[in-house]
Amino acid sequence: MNPWLLLILPITSAVIIHLGLKRSATASALLSSLCVIATLIVSFSLLGSDASVVALDWINISGLNLEIGLELDQLSKGMMIVVTGIGVLVHVFSLGYMKDDEAKARYFGCLSLFMFSMTGIVLASNFIMMFIFWELVGLSSYLLIGHWYHKDSAADAAKKAFLTNRIGDFGFMIGILMLWGIMGTVVFAEMDGSQFSSLCTCLTGMVVLLIFCGAVGKSAQLPLHVWLPDAMEGPTPVSALIHAATMVAAGVYMMARLFLSLGITPDTAELIGSAPQVIAWIGGITSLFAALMATQQNDIKKILAYSTLSQLGYMVMAVGLVAPEAGMFHLFTHAWFKALLFLGSGAVIYACHHEQDIWKMGGLLKKMPITAITFLIGTMALTAVPFTAGFYSKEGILHAAHHQPLFWVAAFVALLTTFYMFRLFIVAFLGKAREHGSKEASEVSLIMSVPLVILAVMSFAAPHISAIFPVPSSWSLEFDVMPHFDDPVFWTSIGAFLIGAVLAFTIYSGKDKDPLSIPLFRNKFYFDEIYAWIIKIFQDALAAIVHFLDAFLINTLLVGGLTRSATGIGNFFRRYAQSGSLSGYAFLMAVGVLLVIYFTVFASK
Amino acid sequence: MPTPSLTEYLIISGLLFSIGLGGVIIRRNIIVIFMCLEMMLAAASLTLVAFSRFNVTDNGLPDYDGQMLVFFIITVAAAEVAVGLAIIVSLYRARQTIHTDELTSLKG
Amino acid sequence: MLLALILIPLLAAIGILGGLPARLSAVVASLANILVATYALSCPACSDGFSLQVLADPNINLSLGITGISAIMVILSVIVTLAAVYSGKCPEGREKLWYSSTLFIAAGAIGAFLSTDVFFFYAFHELALIPTFLMIGILGRGDRKQAAWKITIYLAFGSIILLAGLLLATAHTGSFAFSDLKEIPVAAQNTVALLLIIGFGTLVSLFPLHSWAAPAYASAPTPVAMLHAGVMKKFGLYGLLVIGMKVAPQGMLHWLPWICVLLLGNIIWVGLVTINQKRLDLMLGNSSVMHMGYIFLAIAALSANPDNTIAVPAAVLLMFAHGISIALLFSLASVVEQKTGTLEIAQLGGLAKTAPALAFLFGLAGMASIGLPGLANFAGEVMVFFAGFADWTPGESMGWVQITTIIALWGVVISAVYMLRAYRNSFQGPLVKATENASDIHNCEKIPSYILAITLLVVGIYPKIILQFLSN
Repeated sequence: MNPWLLLILPITSAVIIHLGLKRSATASALLSSLCVIATLIVSFSLLGSDASVVALDWINISGLNLEIGLELDQLSKGMMIVVTGIGVLVHVFSLGYMKDDEAKARYFGCLSLFMFSMTGIVLASNFIMMFIFWELVGLSSYLLIGHWYHKDSAADAAKKAFLTNRIGDFGFMIGILMLWGIMGTVVFAEMDGSQFSSLCTCLTGMVVLLIFCGAVGKSAQLPLHVWLPDAMEGPTPVSALIHAATMVAAGVYMMARLFLSLGITPDTAELIGSAPQVIAWIGGITSLFAALMATQQNDIKKILAYSTLSQLGYMVMAVGLVAPEAGMFHLFTHAWFKALLFLGSGAVIYACHHEQDIWKMGGLLKKMPITAITFLIGTMALTAVPFTAGFYSKEGILHAAHHQPLFWVAAFVALLTTFYMFRLFIVAFLGKAREHGSKEASEVSLIMSVPLVILAVMSFAAPHISAIFPVPSSWSLEFDVMPHFDDPVFWTSIGAFLIGAVLAFTIYSGKDKDPLSIPLFRNKFYFDEIYAWIIKIFQDALAAIVHFLDAFLINTLLVGGLTRSATGIGNFFRRYAQSGSLSGYAFLMAVGVLLVIYFTVFASK
Repeated sequence: MPTPSLTEYLIISGLLFSIGLGGVIIRRNIIVIFMCLEMMLAAASLTLVAFSRFNVTDNGLPDYDGQMLVFFIITVAAAEVAVGLAIIVSLYRARQTIHTDELTSLKG
Repeated sequence: MLLALILIPLLAAIGILGGLPARLSAVVASLANILVATYALSCPACSDGFSLQVLADPNINLSLGITGISAIMVILSVIVTLAAVYSGKCPEGREKLWYSSTLFIAAGAIGAFLSTDVFFFYAFHELALIPTFLMIGILGRGDRKQAAWKITIYLAFGSIILLAGLLLATAHTGSFAFSDLKEIPVAAQNTVALLLIIGFGTLVSLFPLHSWAAPAYASAPTPVAMLHAGVMKKFGLYGLLVIGMKVAPQGMLHWLPWICVLLLGNIIWVGLVTINQKRLDLMLGNSSVMHMGYIFLAIAALSANPDNTIAVPAAVLLMFAHGISIALLFSLASVVEQKTGTLEIAQLGGLAKTAPALAFLFGLAGMASIGLPGLANFAGEVMVFFAGFADWTPGESMGWVQITTIIALWGVVISAVYMLRAYRNSFQGPLVKATENASDIHNCEKIPSYILAITLLVVGIYPKIILQFLSN
């Protein structure tokens, strides 16, 4: 099937919904869902086919040729399965979750717009096209986070997400421009990493890091991570699709794409200097900080959001360790089980009448068995229990980090992950119901539970369907189904899991309120406060000062001074020369006549 | 008694003109100013007559051009007095004053 | 054909003054102008030049012609004119002045872009300034007298310096005709370039000669703000591209560091000023000043290397895109004021609830102006950035233009900050008193918005529709 359909279908759906179907919410939902199912079918049809398309010119002038083309390799084809597959499940789930929303049509329109933009990122054949869709996913994310825009918190979160991403894109764009300056092209297929060899590694490393800035924004790495937890203000299915499985992983995908195009492998990594180490450490620190913050959150979605941050840090770390295949593999498995966890939390929130505080839930295992069991499966996958999807991919990253200091960071994060996920599970699903909402909770309808079950299956099955891995064949991704019992990495991972789980059970089992209180973690290391302060000082105060200077220096002193001196001179003449006294005028005239006579008669000689 | 020379005529006329100019500048009563203006005209006329008298042409007669001009000045001045006095009268009717100190509506 | 483009609005304006039905004639004239422009641009044969000698010595001709850049500017002018006559709310009984001034401005702008004679190029621009002044001074809002005087004095100052520069340049080339413009002796280039940069720069609100723009646009009646910010302001940039670069490329290169510093003044300094604005119209006015910096960036790239093939299309595309988007924003801001009675951002909020269509259109225009892909401004901006990096040799240190480009990119963040802040505070959040009972944008009022919004989308997705004029 024609690969362009992947882009045409969702945008058509978005346009039709916006233009015509606003009033018919059900029709919009159906159209949007049908389109995404169609794109899933197209994505499957692309697997194994060697279809290629002719790129279309977007801007073509002498000296600059920017085109819209599709890059169809295993990396993008596999990623398309993830995007459209989870897209389908989220659409179906949304049919139930957003059933009574008054702006359902707008919601599905925006979802279609998101599917269009995300597809564009994945299939982009060049950096400018990727940047275009990169911004467009930012827009759809903005619109969906701000779906309930009349709530101040949602409107603020949407704005924050967009602006934080813009800061990342600032670096991204500079990186693209410099890369274009070096390569003479922005098309992935035409790039040649060997051109880096003639340049100083300070420059090439800088280019890679600047491009990485885009990933820092989109994949919410430190220090631009602050938008992702706030983005949970959006509807929960959106969090599952955009802020857990696909869009936030775009940064990792983009870095993988960059490494693939430049042909950067562990052997050629010295071409870009110390950039990989920087990337790896940013990823490692992000995953550590996020995991620490997650241990003290009470909002079920916030815990999952920090967990997403932490896992994204893992993937970025893998990329930085020049093991993009491990990063992409983790992206792939993580997408399924994190979507599962988010949709599961959505089901819980829906059942508990929009209660998100885990300390007000409890005992949901009995009331919502399907949701609880699938949630447990997701938790196990995330905490890397052997034979789940997360186990294999996390193992890959730990292997990549082995014999480096980052290994211990990664292992400690694994421990923390187990701890906070079991904390969540114990508090929300075990014990007895604490509040009204959770007492009345009952299992969600079929339309919401079926996606959960499918995702739960994928949490086990994903690593065994190698045809849909978003990993190109040139990268060797190898793993064995059976764990190696003589491998220290395996035992570290198991150890981390056991310690985390035991700690969680001993601390939280049967408790009604949090026995631990660590304000530093609970308040997210005060990042938001520090940023608020920085924005206040370096932006708002600076803007106010500049505005004052603009008004004072330029408008009052420079322009105002000139105008005032002009009026001053005018006033002088008005007051003293134009006195209204007849004799004064006569005198001046007489003086004038005398002067004229003097100059004509006497002085001219 | 010796006949006055051109210089003496010019001195008298200059004095007359200066007195007139001084009056225009210093005096506040508009009628007096008006009279001083007339005096300046008379000074100019006197100069013209004097120049005419002393500028003898080839045929021994004075140059009458100057004296012709004086007749014009006298007639125009008569008309001017009529118009000027009429303006002063209407000014007095409008403003109840003929003092220039109080007529400052030209003040900017 | 080209003469008709100027005569139609001119005659319609005179007709309105003479008693023709004002609004109807204005709409008909601007529609006719769009048709004529389409016809003139679609067949090269019918857009032949026109020339009429006005004065033999010095040789001044009313000569009109169309080139790639002026074609794009004419398209911009006719589109914005049509939208402008539909926009804003004319005070009762002032229709004659309102519509005839609008058409006079349009005629002046189109005339300036079509002129191929330096004298008329200048004179048409001045023709457009007079009604601008009258409209702001008589029918403006707020502190209209001061704003009117400010814009007049500023622009007169700019114009007089510009005139000096143009006369000096033409004295060297010996002719007023565009076709005779050529590089003047190097010794005179620095002076001419300086005069042209200051002169044209004032008209484009180049930092630090920008402080007339925001108050004037805030006070101006909507059509005037749309036409001036959208179209007239491009006159200066057009002049620099068509005349400045032609007669004094060396001079432009000489002043390159200054151009770079001043354009960063536009982008960063005025950008920060914009963040601090409390009123929607002042915010938009300042944002339009800020975005001029990006077009100057393209001119800077061109000054650094006149063979930069990306810079001219980049500048022209961005001029076009900015003209459309700022006109749309001003048009919508006036709708906001009509519906809520205020433009103070603090007094607005939640408008998306009561006026969803208005919120959608404003969001689209705002997103366009902050350079969201898919809308015309992004295509222009991205080309400007590429133009900035076109001359960079990797491995060597960066030049003025590259460093300026990098700093200027931060403006993309700044513009997102002020636009999203304003949008969030006026359209999102809970409803407040002013917006509770606001009605949505009326179908009639949607006409200008849709004309402009569709243009933005079409050009953003398919920029070739504009760029094709430059290729031949």
